[in-house]
Amino acid sequence: MLKILVCISHVPDTTTKIKFEADGSALDRTGVTFVINPYCEYGLSRAIGLREEGKQVSITALCVGGPEVEPTLRKALAIGADDAVRIDAPANDSAFVARQIAAYAKGKEFDLIFTGKESIDFNGSIVPGMVAELMDFAFISFATHMEMKGDNSATFHREIDGGMEVLDATFPVVVSCQKGISEWRIPNMRGIMAARKKPLAKVSPAEVREYVDPVKLTYPPARGNTQYFEPEDAQGLVGTLIDKGLI
Amino acid sequence: MAREYVNMKNLRFLLHDVHQIKEVLAQPYYAEHDLESIDMMLDAVKQLSDTYLFPHYEDMDRNEPQLEGGEIKVHHSVRPYLDAMGEGGWIGAVAPMDLGGMQIPEMLGVSAAFVMAAANNGATGFNGLTTGAANLIVSFGSAEQKEKYLPKMFEGSWQGTMALTEPQAGSSLSDIQTTATPMPDGSYRIRGQKIYISAGDYTETENVVHMLLARIDGAPLGTKGISLFIVPKYREGEHGELVFNDVTPAGLYHKLGQKGTPATHLMYGEKDDCHGYLVGEPHRGLSYMFQMMNEARLLVGLGAVSIASAAYHASLQYAKERPQGRRYEDGKRDLTGPQTPIINHPDVRRMLLLQKAIVEGGLSLVMECARYADLAKAGDEETRAHYELLLDLLTPVAKTYPSEMGIVSISQGLQVLGGGGFCKDFPLENYYRDIRIYPIYEGTTGIQSQDLLGRKVVIKNGKAVKLLMAEIQKTLEAAEAYEDLRPYAEKLRAKLETVQQILMHLVPFAMQGKIERYLSDATLFMELFGLVVVAWQWLKQGVVAKQHLVSGKDDPDFMESKLHTMKFFYHYELPKTLGLAERLLDDTVLTIAEDTRELVN
Repeated sequence: MLKILVCISHVPDTTTKIKFEADGSALDRTGVTFVINPYCEYGLSRAIGLREEGKQVSITALCVGGPEVEPTLRKALAIGADDAVRIDAPANDSAFVARQIAAYAKGKEFDLIFTGKESIDFNGSIVPGMVAELMDFAFISFATHMEMKGDNSATFHREIDGGMEVLDATFPVVVSCQKGISEWRIPNMRGIMAARKKPLAKVSPAEVREYVDPVKLTYPPARGNTQYFEPEDAQGLVGTLIDKGLI
Repeated sequence: MAREYVNMKNLRFLLHDVHQIKEVLAQPYYAEHDLESIDMMLDAVKQLSDTYLFPHYEDMDRNEPQLEGGEIKVHHSVRPYLDAMGEGGWIGAVAPMDLGGMQIPEMLGVSAAFVMAAANNGATGFNGLTTGAANLIVSFGSAEQKEKYLPKMFEGSWQGTMALTEPQAGSSLSDIQTTATPMPDGSYRIRGQKIYISAGDYTETENVVHMLLARIDGAPLGTKGISLFIVPKYREGEHGELVFNDVTPAGLYHKLGQKGTPATHLMYGEKDDCHGYLVGEPHRGLSYMFQMMNEARLLVGLGAVSIASAAYHASLQYAKERPQGRRYEDGKRDLTGPQTPIINHPDVRRMLLLQKAIVEGGLSLVMECARYADLAKAGDEETRAHYELLLDLLTPVAKTYPSEMGIVSISQGLQVLGGGGFCKDFPLENYYRDIRIYPIYEGTTGIQSQDLLGRKVVIKNGKAVKLLMAEIQKTLEAAEAYEDLRPYAEKLRAKLETVQQILMHLVPFAMQGKIERYLSDATLFMELFGLVVVAWQWLKQGVVAKQHLVSGKDDPDFMESKLHTMKFFYHYELPKTLGLAERLLDDTVLTIAEDTRELVN
């Protein structure tokens, strides 16, 4: 039996127009739809793929967050995770999140820990590496392919600049996933209905200090005003470009 | 291509806040579902539509089905889509769980169908027809028929159809001539032909299950001699293998729109080897079919509003991005400044608001009907009778308003794009062609209007109308709690009195046996009645939006937009009832044919 932990980030839908609270202290969640981080979903899907390939697997989905992340974990259950765990703490700091994951996973003999290559909200891309370090597991980052090799190891592909790297790793291993390792799955109705009855446990956070204190979120500077030129005013256009040192 | 085709936030607003699906979920029949799973299913259907439907919409229109060598080939995206639908559980979603369905509320089924049809209405006929055909087997089929056909249909392997129309029998189904001859083994030999059979045959399906109307030899003339049969393209042979059942495609219709789904002309029993299997009792086929047809009519209204939704989003996107002309400021335009997006011009804004008002008002009406269907299905006998009566009354309206006004809506949407709207570079011309069939599907607007005025309004001495008035009264009372909604409640109350006044004028014609006179302007009555009913739906949405704004929860911009569109409907659309009322109360009738002279020449 392969024991798999899939770490899930709860992130705003990719089509959401992001707004901050008036004081810039946090994301304004009004009207925002949250989803499973797409890269984490690749990991979940690859785990389910292993089951479809005939491997005996148990899949636990884990998310660090408040009660608001439970619908996201339910979706992971609907897609095919066997059970879910919510570590009841806000996920403000990558180091904090990594330590929570490691604290939960220690002693549970997971063979594989799948994560996304990054979360699409804060794009830190550091949680999986930290989890691997804290767990003393092998770490495959940016995996685009995974193929089992026997019962206790796998071959991985990872994209590198200008090519591809092929690696073998013996379990236990942390894998940060990106596009290519699997296809996203659409939960079916039976899965959604079954998800209501699958266990979703709330776990108290481990005693871990927060290393950073989020202060403020700001928007990128607004783009400069557009200047229009009439079609016959090519000279004006060229003159302006010269004045601004652009040509 | 537009990036969006539905507003999921609006769909959730209607489902949860306006029409309160939680009340439906409280019924024991829906115990396997909760609000969270309902939302997850909506997300899943959007994902499915984004993946399998929307990307193929345009190409499916450009590459319509072909009949070659006696075989019909459809677009390459159809098979993967139907597999995904079957795997997702959507084809049998509304059916009871003990028959392999998911037992979801109609309200969710309608919501899902809305998203899918908005994504690609040229494709959703395939699964919609299978669902409709399967529903007939669920309701009236034998245990053996359910076991044999439903699993394959629900998994998307076997296609279902409705085989009703014949060359001489369209709206007049009593003139059906296809025959069914009883055989010693209990089956029937079918002989005849059917036309306009959507998804009637194609190579990318293992089998086609036709729900076919025919006359058993010796059956009485008229509607009371029509029976319902299952006629598969491939029947089960002696050893369980599938053998050809003598159903052949004779032709393929080339349509104005909805080109993805083949419309076929089918021959049954040319070699005298077409076996049919009776569903239910002999001679009751039309009543069975009408049960399905009421559901289908609701889905037609929904289909129309879905296309109008996709068109609205395409127009809206264009209007936000297309700079053209300049606004007046202090009576002048600054010709040296940049052009303004056309959404800032009042006339364009008017067209967009009209589109939005029709789409969101029409969808709300269909959702209301779905809610009645759910409450009827899960309730006791008295509750069932109550909601069925309301559903009976509103079904022709929910079919007709979105179909007729959806055309107006898309036409205005096309106008927003100017010359671009007329070209294939943008999807508006495609939507415009696709929606044109909707006032014809499942009983034309004329038929629906006669059904409304001739049957539904007077049924049980006008009881259905009284029930509707009581429902509207609840909304009026809720609206009157808010000062700024009170004027709109008053407007709606006045329109209800207009409806009563018109009925008082017309019903005596029916009582005197002057049926042609009574029904001569039925379509105009439908138009007026539809405006009033949709005004009710807008007030209902307005009340909920107001409640949200007062309580300060949820997205205030969305709620303000709801109130703005409600006001638009009351100030720009509802006044059209004045002209209609004048006509309906006018004693001069120019449309009844005279015996002596033909004045339309």
